[in-house]
Amino acid sequence: MTALLELRSVHYRHPNAREDAVAGVSLQVHAHEIAGVVGPNAAGKSTLARLSCGLLAPDRGEVLLGGEPLPRLSRRERARRVAYLPQDPPSDLGFTAREVALMGRAPHLGLWSLEGMADRARADAALAEAAAAELAERPISQLSGGERQRVFLARAFAQDAPLLVLDEPTDGLDLAHQVHLVQTLRARARQGAGALLVLHDLSLAAAACDRLFLLDRGTVCAEGPPKEVLQAAVLGAAYGTAIDVVSHPASGALLVSARITREASRDTSPITREKG
Amino acid sequence: MRPGDPAVRSAASRAAWAVAVLLPVVALAVLCGISFGAGESSLGAALRGVEPDATVLWKLRVPRVLLAAEVGAALSVSGVALQALLRNPLADPFVFGLSGGAALGTATIVIASGTALGAAALPAASFFGLLPAQLAAVAGAMAAALLVYSLGRARGRLDPTRALLVGIVFNSFASALVLAVEAIVKPDQTQAVLLWLSGTLGYEAMTLLAGAGLLLIIPIGVLVALAGRLNLLALGDEGAEALGVDVSRTRLLAFFAASAAVGIAVAFTGLVGFVGLVVPHAVRVVTGPDHRVVLPASALGGAAFLVLADTLARVLFHGLGAEPPVGAVTAVVGAPVFVMLLRSRQ
Repeated sequence: MTALLELRSVHYRHPNAREDAVAGVSLQVHAHEIAGVVGPNAAGKSTLARLSCGLLAPDRGEVLLGGEPLPRLSRRERARRVAYLPQDPPSDLGFTAREVALMGRAPHLGLWSLEGMADRARADAALAEAAAAELAERPISQLSGGERQRVFLARAFAQDAPLLVLDEPTDGLDLAHQVHLVQTLRARARQGAGALLVLHDLSLAAAACDRLFLLDRGTVCAEGPPKEVLQAAVLGAAYGTAIDVVSHPASGALLVSARITREASRDTSPITREKG
Repeated sequence: MRPGDPAVRSAASRAAWAVAVLLPVVALAVLCGISFGAGESSLGAALRGVEPDATVLWKLRVPRVLLAAEVGAALSVSGVALQALLRNPLADPFVFGLSGGAALGTATIVIASGTALGAAALPAASFFGLLPAQLAAVAGAMAAALLVYSLGRARGRLDPTRALLVGIVFNSFASALVLAVEAIVKPDQTQAVLLWLSGTLGYEAMTLLAGAGLLLIIPIGVLVALAGRLNLLALGDEGAEALGVDVSRTRLLAFFAASAAVGIAVAFTGLVGFVGLVVPHAVRVVTGPDHRVVLPASALGGAAFLVLADTLARVLFHGLGAEPPVGAVTAVVGAPVFVMLLRSRQ
């Protein structure tokens, strides 16, 4: 089966940077699958997400959407194949939540960008999917961070693309809304959608994703089912600090947390030690 | 719910609704514009062909009202477009250096007409009934647009903030040069430049007005077609790009369409300020930020606003035997309205 997303040894260096942000990453995301990208700060996670939806062009390597190389797709065709949630969506918009959700329909509209009844129904359904239906009439500028995040998730859902690339989708969401989001993504995956999520919360990544890619300095240093990737030794090496992984005694869910000793003195803190 | 409520209506029907409300407003403004003026003249008599009322109507008031409507629409629409490009509702259509360029063009012609060679050559240069100074204004505005576009690019794409800075610096540079020109030319020429700088509606030939109207349809049409994409630009470059928008091309088209509309407007009237700032702002208070509604509504609102401002200038001051340039009226009306709108946003 053709992968929804395929990266073939992709390299990318930001302008004026000394090192590659993404240095030879190959991965695939298939239909019915939720893949997660985890890793320390500046590992190249967001760059990878932007490369995956064509916002950046790789210096070397290839990105394919539904089997077709990105440069061969028109902008609109690309936007019909992949929906992207950026890390911090703009907050100073006068548009209402419904208007923003409707913007997700843009790649499907004609010359005058006028949406029809079907598009409006789709946007309303997407708002409901993202638990933002009650925000529909509110301007974005009046929403809290978590509410805004739900509206922009709705915009991504309204785009009706088979692949979702979501950068920190749980950013600002409370626990109940995190659970709702994971369930929504699962429901979409059952219907054949695929997703690539960039996540910081490793316990959440374990619960939400079928497969994880642990990224460190631009390369994938571990990949596989969460149980294989989320191992204390592997994580400890990538993040540079002691990390505990336990199974919840009742649910069996993987719980990952960094070991924080209150008495940690200067010379045991991994970051100052690295610098010294 | 109100019929114009965004919750129940699509963008197309809200735009139609706004046009339906504003067309009678424009008609009313035009009626005021052709009914009132400096001289006593009866509209009824004029329509029956009684002289001199008929001449006043057809040779003076109708062309002037038409000009005001065209210029008002052009300035408002380009104001909306440039505000969308800058992602700043407080931008003015002249910020990108267009006013400086147009002023410089006009001032150059004024000096040239003072020299023997210029006096001989200039009448020959008039084109389709346009005066050399008008052509120079358009040329100056377009040259400024090109300059701002080429210097305001970063990584091959128009960077609005950079372009704004270039525009502001160029405007200051140009006004310094224009002041220098004024210091050396004869007093009556200074007067002409000054009048032009403050924005004045004159009396143009109907054929010229019809031509300008037809010409304005192109940039306004381009901008209305871009309206949906201008909405998406509010999401930021990557947000718009991710929805399939060609951000570079959209910016390029919107920038030059807006510049062309401003260029056509300044050719006739000089620098009429505040229209492109206040009208879109007032429209957005009622319609919300959707450009598919704001653009057509601002075109009509701008037309009505400038026709009324000009009528006000003619009526209020006819007792003084002189009338202020319309740019002064739009500034006097526009500045307080603008402050009011700004405060109401909070």
